[in-house]
Amino acid sequence: MKSAQLKRIFFGVLFLLLTPHLPTHSLPAAAPPDIEEQTRAIAAELRCPVCQNLSVADSPSELAQEMRALVREQLEQGKSPEEIRKFFVSKYGDWVLLAPPAKGFNLLLWLLPAIGALIGLLLVIVVTRRWVKRSSDGRLTTAMEAAAPPAVPRAPEAADVPMDVDSQRDFYRRERERIEAEGKEIEFDFQSGKLSEADYTAMRRRLDSEAAVTGQKLASMPSSPAPAQKRAPEKKPAAGGERRPLKTWQLAAGAVFLLLLGLSLGVVLMQATRPRASEQDTITGDFLTGTPGSGGGDALLAQGRAAFEKRDYGQAIEMFKKVLAADPNNPEAHAYMGLMLAQAGHTDGALSAFDRALAADPNFPVALWGKGMLLAQNGGDPREARRLLEKVSTMMPNGPEKSEVEKLIAELGKPAAAGNVAAPAKKPAPPPVAQAAGPAIQGVIDVDTKSKTSVDPQAVLFIIAKSTSGAGPPLAVKRIAAPKFPLNYTIGSEDVMMPGSVFSGKLFISARLDKDGNIATKEPGNLAGEYKKNPVDVGAKKIDFLLEPLK
Amino acid sequence: MALRRLIITLAVIVPLVALLAYGFFRDPRYIPSPLVGRPAPTFSVKLFNGEKVNLADLRGKVVFINFWASWCPPCIAEAKELEATWQRLKDQGVVFLGIEIQDTEVNGRAFVDKFGLTYPNGADANGRIAIDYGVWGIPESFFIDPDGRIVYKHVGGIGAEILAAKAAEARERIMTTKEGKGDYQSIR
Repeated sequence: MKSAQLKRIFFGVLFLLLTPHLPTHSLPAAAPPDIEEQTRAIAAELRCPVCQNLSVADSPSELAQEMRALVREQLEQGKSPEEIRKFFVSKYGDWVLLAPPAKGFNLLLWLLPAIGALIGLLLVIVVTRRWVKRSSDGRLTTAMEAAAPPAVPRAPEAADVPMDVDSQRDFYRRERERIEAEGKEIEFDFQSGKLSEADYTAMRRRLDSEAAVTGQKLASMPSSPAPAQKRAPEKKPAAGGERRPLKTWQLAAGAVFLLLLGLSLGVVLMQATRPRASEQDTITGDFLTGTPGSGGGDALLAQGRAAFEKRDYGQAIEMFKKVLAADPNNPEAHAYMGLMLAQAGHTDGALSAFDRALAADPNFPVALWGKGMLLAQNGGDPREARRLLEKVSTMMPNGPEKSEVEKLIAELGKPAAAGNVAAPAKKPAPPPVAQAAGPAIQGVIDVDTKSKTSVDPQAVLFIIAKSTSGAGPPLAVKRIAAPKFPLNYTIGSEDVMMPGSVFSGKLFISARLDKDGNIATKEPGNLAGEYKKNPVDVGAKKIDFLLEPLK
Repeated sequence: MALRRLIITLAVIVPLVALLAYGFFRDPRYIPSPLVGRPAPTFSVKLFNGEKVNLADLRGKVVFINFWASWCPPCIAEAKELEATWQRLKDQGVVFLGIEIQDTEVNGRAFVDKFGLTYPNGADANGRIAIDYGVWGIPESFFIDPDGRIVYKHVGGIGAEILAAKAAEARERIMTTKEGKGDYQSIR
C-alpha cells in the first residue's frame, strides 16, 4: 500500500520533471507566404558551415550571407523549402542540417536522451523500492528474533576461541547485523530479477537459520544492563527507517520541491533557448535580472528623468519609450519626449508629443511649458503660446524660472516681438525655426582612379560625422546602399545616431565603402577616406574627398 | 555479486567514454563532402585576364580546381608549389583552375602577380561556385576526371606529390572517397 503510494508520487514528480524538456522547437509546418520570412525559416534550419553551432539565419559570416541570398533566390525561382534543403544537403551533406535526420549514427543523438531518461527512471524506481524494503526488513528481523527456529549448524568461529561474555555478545550482534545486511541484499537482487526464485529461497533459508542461531545465542546470554541500554539506541535507527514512509508531509514537501525545480528549470530553459529579440536581450531576458520594468512605470519615469537631466538622451528616450509601451497615454513620458524632439529640431514631432501629453492631462506643466516655449520660439502661434505659458506660470513656484516665463509672456503680448525670443537659460531650448529643415554638410565623394574598376556594386557607403577626431561614437551616419560615384551627399540632423543629439559644431567628416555592409568588420577591398581639412562647420558645402583602399 | 556490479558499471561507462572520446578527437569544423563520386557542378568563371572559362567545355581533360583567397595563409603557402606543379603537368592533359573566393578582384590580381601564377585564375564574385562545391576551408581542391566526375577532394594545402599522383589517378578515372587533409583556414 505504502509502496504503491510512493510509486505513484514518484511517477508523478518524474513526469512533471521530464515534461518541460520533451517538447523541442517544432518548425512551422506551413511555410509563411512572405519570402523574407520563408528565407529566415529555411536559413534557421541550416547550420552555418564556418561557425560554431550557429544557424545560417543567425550567423553574420560572409558565407552565411551568401547562403541566405541563395535561399532567397531559389525561393523566388519558385523552389520549395524541401528542394532548397536538399540542395544544401547535396553540397554539404546532412551536416548542414541543424536537426540531422534520425538514421545511422545520428540515431544515437535522438535516442540517447530518451534512454538516459529511462535509465534514470528505472534507477529511481529501484532506489525507492530499496527504501521501502529496508523499513519492512527492519520489522522482519525483529520478528525473527522473537521466534527461535531449530538451530542449523553453522558454528561461529568464536565458539572455539575462549571469550568473555561481553565480547561474545558483541560478536553475535555483529553477526546479526551481517545477516540482516545479507538478507536485504538478496531480497534486492531477487526483486530486481538478478536471483532466481530457487536460489533466493535457498539463500533465504540459510540466512534465516543463521539468524535463528545467532538470536538464540544472544538470548541465552545473561542479560546485562549494557545490552538493554544498547538495544534501545539500536532500535532507534530502525524506528527511524520505519517512520520515513509514514511521514507523508515529508514526501509531499519533496514532491513539491521537485515539481518547483522542474518547473523553474523548464522556464529557464525555454527562456534560454528562445530566439532573442535584440543584441541586448540576455539569456534570461528581464525575467531574472529585472532591470527594465522591475520598478514599474514610476521607476522608469524616474530613470528617464535622471537620464534627461544628465543629458543622456539616448537612455532617456529608451526609458520613456518603455513607459509608453506600458502606458501609451502617460503625459510625463510624452512631454519629455517632446522636449527632446524640440531640442533635436524636430518641431512637428515635438508639438505632437506635447499635444498627446496634454490630451492625457490638459494641465501637465512640462507639456504646457514645452509647447508654449516651442510656439513662442518659432513664432507660429504667439496667442496660443501666451495662453499656455500663462497657464503654466500660475502653477510655477516663485523664482527666476517663473519670472523668465512671465517676461516671455509680456514679450508675447507685444506683437512685434513675437518672432525673436530668448530661451530661458536653464531649460533646453529648441533651435530657431530657420534651421527646422536641419543643418547639414554637403559635398561630393569619389573613388580614387586606381580603385575605380574594383568597386563592388553591392557595397554600402557609410558617411560618418564625428565630433572628435579619435575613437568614439559618431554623431551622425548616413548609409547609402550601392552608391554611384562621384556621389553628391548631404549629411545633417536627420542622420544623427541618437535621437535628441544636435547636429552642430565642428565635425570630422569621413566615409567608408564597406563590402558586406557591416561597418564593424573590415574586409579587404573596403575603401575609406576623410575630408582633408577636418573639422568642418555645420552648414559647410563642397566638403569633397576621395576614397582609397584601406591600408 | 561484486563482479556483476563491476561489469554493469563498466557496461554503462565504457560506451559513454568511448562516445565522448570519439567526439573530442574529431575536428569539429570538418564537414565530410557528399560530392566525391558525383558529377562536378558546372559553372563558368571570368578569369582575371578577361577570358571566360566554362567547366563543361573542359570535358575530356583532368581538371584541378583550387579554391583560394589572398587572406588565407595556407593558400599563400602553397601558391608557388601549385605553379611549379602546373608547369610540370600542363602538357599532360591536366587543366588547373584557381578560383578566388570571399575576396576582391584587386587582391586576387595582386596575389596572382605576386606569386607569378600562370594557370587560369578567376574570382567567384557572389560565392555561388564555392557553395556549389560545399567549400568551407581553403585552400580546397577538387579533382575532376575526363568524364566530369569529382574523384578526389583535398581540404587544406596539397603538396606537389599528392597533386601529381591524384592528377594521374584522375586521368585513369580512379576515385578516392577518403578526403585528403592539410593545413587549412576556415572561410568567413
